[in-house]
Amino acid sequence: MNCLLCQQPLRSDWSLAQLLSFKPLTLSRLCPQCLAQFTPIDATSACPGCGRAHSPKLCNDCQRWRRQGYALLHNRAWFAYTPAMKAFIQQYKGLGDFRLHQVFADQLQLPTRRTALVPLPSEPGHYARRGFDPVIGLFGHLPLALWLEKADTAMPQAQKDRQGRLQTPQSFTAHLPAKLPPQVILLDDLYTTGRTLYHAQAALREAGYTGKITARTLIR
Amino acid sequence: MLPLGFQLTDEELPKVGLTMASLAQLTPIMAIQSGRCQRCQQRALAPLPDGRQYCTACVGLGRVTTTTKLWRLPSGPATPSAMTWRGTLTSAQKQAAQAALTAVNQGRDFLLWAVTGAGKTEMLFPVVAAFLSRGLRVAIASPRVDVVRELAPRFAQAFAGASLAVLFGGSAWPEVPADLTVTTTHQLLRYYRHFDLMVVDEVDAFPYTQTPMLAAAVQQARRGPTIFLSATPDKPMQQAVKRARLAVAFLPRRFHGAPLPVPRQRLTGLKQVPKQLGRRDLALLQNLAADRRVLVFVPRIAWLKPLAAHLRQAGLAVRTAHAADPERAAVVQAFRQGEFTVLLTTTILERGVTIPRCAVVVVAADDPQFSASGLIQMAGRAGRSAASPDDPVLFLARHITLAQIEAIHAIRQMNRRQP
Repeated sequence: MNCLLCQQPLRSDWSLAQLLSFKPLTLSRLCPQCLAQFTPIDATSACPGCGRAHSPKLCNDCQRWRRQGYALLHNRAWFAYTPAMKAFIQQYKGLGDFRLHQVFADQLQLPTRRTALVPLPSEPGHYARRGFDPVIGLFGHLPLALWLEKADTAMPQAQKDRQGRLQTPQSFTAHLPAKLPPQVILLDDLYTTGRTLYHAQAALREAGYTGKITARTLIR
Repeated sequence: MLPLGFQLTDEELPKVGLTMASLAQLTPIMAIQSGRCQRCQQRALAPLPDGRQYCTACVGLGRVTTTTKLWRLPSGPATPSAMTWRGTLTSAQKQAAQAALTAVNQGRDFLLWAVTGAGKTEMLFPVVAAFLSRGLRVAIASPRVDVVRELAPRFAQAFAGASLAVLFGGSAWPEVPADLTVTTTHQLLRYYRHFDLMVVDEVDAFPYTQTPMLAAAVQQARRGPTIFLSATPDKPMQQAVKRARLAVAFLPRRFHGAPLPVPRQRLTGLKQVPKQLGRRDLALLQNLAADRRVLVFVPRIAWLKPLAAHLRQAGLAVRTAHAADPERAAVVQAFRQGEFTVLLTTTILERGVTIPRCAVVVVAADDPQFSASGLIQMAGRAGRSAASPDDPVLFLARHITLAQIEAIHAIRQMNRRQP
């Protein structure tokens, strides 16, 4: 098998302990060099509200969300938005290279017991153009609960400035199943201002969900 | 309609200012037919969740899916223009240029097999001039963007009367169809039967040899013969020459007539590399840097920083350049102007850069990263100017490897060959 990013053959250097552990032996999807390009975020020093790196206290953005009356999402992100990550997003979402959807599958692991993993869907128009949903692709290896639906908006978030993003109106609607787990984790690719995720939270609350809602994103 | 010669997807049409309405008389083709991408001629499809498929080979130029339509815009003649270059060729260069012109006038493909620094670009000028003066379109393509950047100003100067387009990833689209196009081989995928003469420089360079798509792009973008340029053609091309499928001219001498500098191998521990060089290795490097510039090649990008810090500590003016470095072009320009003495780089600069009075040091020449043709190219950065044809070339290696032996042997052999 080849590394999904650089197409170089992957080496399998299993340790004796791994060989004797009776667990399935799986190759990682990225070679160590490619993985090293990305900067993981240290959870212990990240902002408790949004998962921003190197901000052990609640950051200004999250304080503003709290002042506006939102319950904090306690977002955790796996990686920082470095140039390497920008290049990945450009290739995956921008060019639409769907092969890359599994690149981070080894890293993106989440608990599934008594938890609904709710991905933030893309707009119908974007889906029609891309042919895939980037968030559902990234987390496709997990059991997902597709409760949210997004209406078409005038302009994608990526083309707006900060103010424009924050003023985006609600475009999510939620359809809840009969049996509800006590916890929901919202999944998205990118946490920038948090606007989209807090809209999703509001949509779930509006539909009558009363459990705990947190969030996980690939990038902060 | 303008003779564009483009091959564009329906999403790309607006980028060149075209609308579907203006193309009423054209019929597009489906971009993917019977499992093959019609843009890049590769069979490398991957499925999308909505049932479509897309081509993974040329996705970097914008995705092509099973629902994409491909418009092949008709091409046409260029505006005739005359050469403004007033230099002269040596008799060997003249002969090679004449041979190339004869071959391409008969519609035959041609290999110009010339050592590094033979003046390949100048040899092309009379051939390109003959085509441009007849109103025929010419493309100069190279797999390396650095080579494109180096060639473009030289062609712009030599053919000031012709309209010139310079294309590489991220460059602007040409507004009018240019008479002369200097481009990366990747960008040729945007053209269809447009060029009456195709010149492919550095055919043996990465990624051309490893990517069949690029050879297909060259085939598809041309409607006339091709001239291949190489100092180190690969086996299949040498075979084609042997079987007379490809006309050839061989130039074993540099334009200044001096032999190629033969690399000196120095077997050394390199134990502290990349943190530091051995004491004697460093002394050798300092010695070289005393009266000329030095290009230092290393096999890995990760080595650049620590080694640069070490050399700086030793009192040398050092800068680095690598593939992902956004300032690469500026650094090379500053090096050429003599703003610093040592340029530490990876194989990215093994081709196309011409710096007068410049020695070459390859650190860890035994690394599997360095192929024989790569080593020949690196050694070929030395001795480019007539004023200093014997700049030293030094391979610092832990072991003797086949690639090093092959490279040194090939250089010696070319020096032995009578012009």
